[in-house]
Amino acid sequence: MSQTLPLSVIVSIRDSRATLGEVLVAIRASDLPGDSYEIIVVDDASSDGSVAIAARNADTVVKLSGRGSGPAYARNRGVELARGEVVAFVDDDVLVRPDTLSRMLGVLAQRSDIDAISASRDQNSGASNFISQYWNCLLRFGEQRYAGRCAQFAPGCGAVRRRAFLSAGMYDEWRFATACLEDVELGERLLGGGRGALLSDELKVTHLKRWNLGLVCQEVWGRGRLLARSLGYSRMRALAPSEVIFTLSRALTPAIALLGTLMLAAAFVPPPRPRAEAGLILLVLLLTNLPVNHFYARARGFGFAVVSAPIHILVQTVAAAALCTGWILRYVFGDVSPDATTQAYSEVGLEVWPPVPRRPR
Amino acid sequence: MSSAGVDAILFQEPTSPPSLTADDAFGRSFVRQHERIGATSVTPEAVKGPRRTPRRSLIVVLPENHVVSPDVVSSRLAAEGDNELVDVILACAGQPHGLGALQRRVRDLQVLLAPAGTSKEDLREFAMSQAPGDIVTLLSGIPATG
Repeated sequence: MSQTLPLSVIVSIRDSRATLGEVLVAIRASDLPGDSYEIIVVDDASSDGSVAIAARNADTVVKLSGRGSGPAYARNRGVELARGEVVAFVDDDVLVRPDTLSRMLGVLAQRSDIDAISASRDQNSGASNFISQYWNCLLRFGEQRYAGRCAQFAPGCGAVRRRAFLSAGMYDEWRFATACLEDVELGERLLGGGRGALLSDELKVTHLKRWNLGLVCQEVWGRGRLLARSLGYSRMRALAPSEVIFTLSRALTPAIALLGTLMLAAAFVPPPRPRAEAGLILLVLLLTNLPVNHFYARARGFGFAVVSAPIHILVQTVAAAALCTGWILRYVFGDVSPDATTQAYSEVGLEVWPPVPRRPR
Repeated sequence: MSSAGVDAILFQEPTSPPSLTADDAFGRSFVRQHERIGATSVTPEAVKGPRRTPRRSLIVVLPENHVVSPDVVSSRLAAEGDNELVDVILACAGQPHGLGALQRRVRDLQVLLAPAGTSKEDLREFAMSQAPGDIVTLLSGIPATG
């Protein structure tokens, strides 16, 4: 390993041609001295020529072949090459501000009680279409509500001390083969090791991804299923409160659970007034979503909040179904694991490039 | 550019690179020179199939009027590990400076020549398309003084 640097910025990419150029230019425009950091781009088997775009601004490009192993795997390969004492992970659709990385380094230098810091999304995040605005507003609601010390790490842009990252066991590339919850799980391990992870409300980045209803439902389905199957929802809900699909406060949860039980029991009795019952359910849902709807109204206006309300109920329905599916899968099949071939390669200890995903310690 | 013209350029002395016309298509206007001093370099075809370790490439980018110290390249090669197994590609725009010194220090040097005025980013992008490595390090030269 050659001389160390203060910072290594790792960008994992997969078919990111549309946004990658802008993302790397934004990192290069950081107010850090040019010789104090390096940019490592790890290409997770792209087929759209993203590597060529990466070459225009990166210091090192890692080309992974095969079918793609996910950002957790790709970022781990980047860290193995990193020379920085701090490693920052920036998503391939996230624009950092000129001072984002330097301020992250500054906070880590000042505060020895934390080992990781993440930036939150700014209000300009997302494409201009309604669903993108809805989704980014929802995530921003969670970040602002629960900013401070929490388990969530790097939802788009985060930095961690390399030493702490390695001693925490790096990203779990064994179970998290898709871009889903790997940051939350890493944050949980960082906290579990007695290390602090800070979600800063002052550091902002812009997310560029364009969402549509299908993508949002797909994301919520994936998160909900994995949350229940791999992490255990109730445990993660306590550790990572910025999970915002269900915006219930803790005090309300028992009341809602009781109400849900009564409603379930009532489902077996012929309803005298079906409309009244449906209306009651809707009212309960709207009441429980009041905090997020209030946030929408303040951020985007009353009209936006009104249109968002039914979409949020749809998203919650998908999330509830995903959680139930995840629970069933967990108890029937167990935790997520790679395919049989990968497991066999890992068992044998086959040494190949790209390496076989590693089992968590 | 005619194919005869390209052949003629490939046989020129490496220290006196050709002057290419700016109206050539960008991709076609690059000229590749393989300088083999000693052992034959490994071709991409020779390493197809599973490998135990990643193949590494080092791209040195020299826009017009930029130079790179052979010492810097040597130290980067040393940082890459076993420098015998690193493919080194020099991508330069216009007349490269100090090519001979670099060739003496680097065992197998692949040279890509682009028309003068080609931007650093375009040089990097094209050199990347030629780099066979799984891990590719890019090193930029510094402006020449005087």
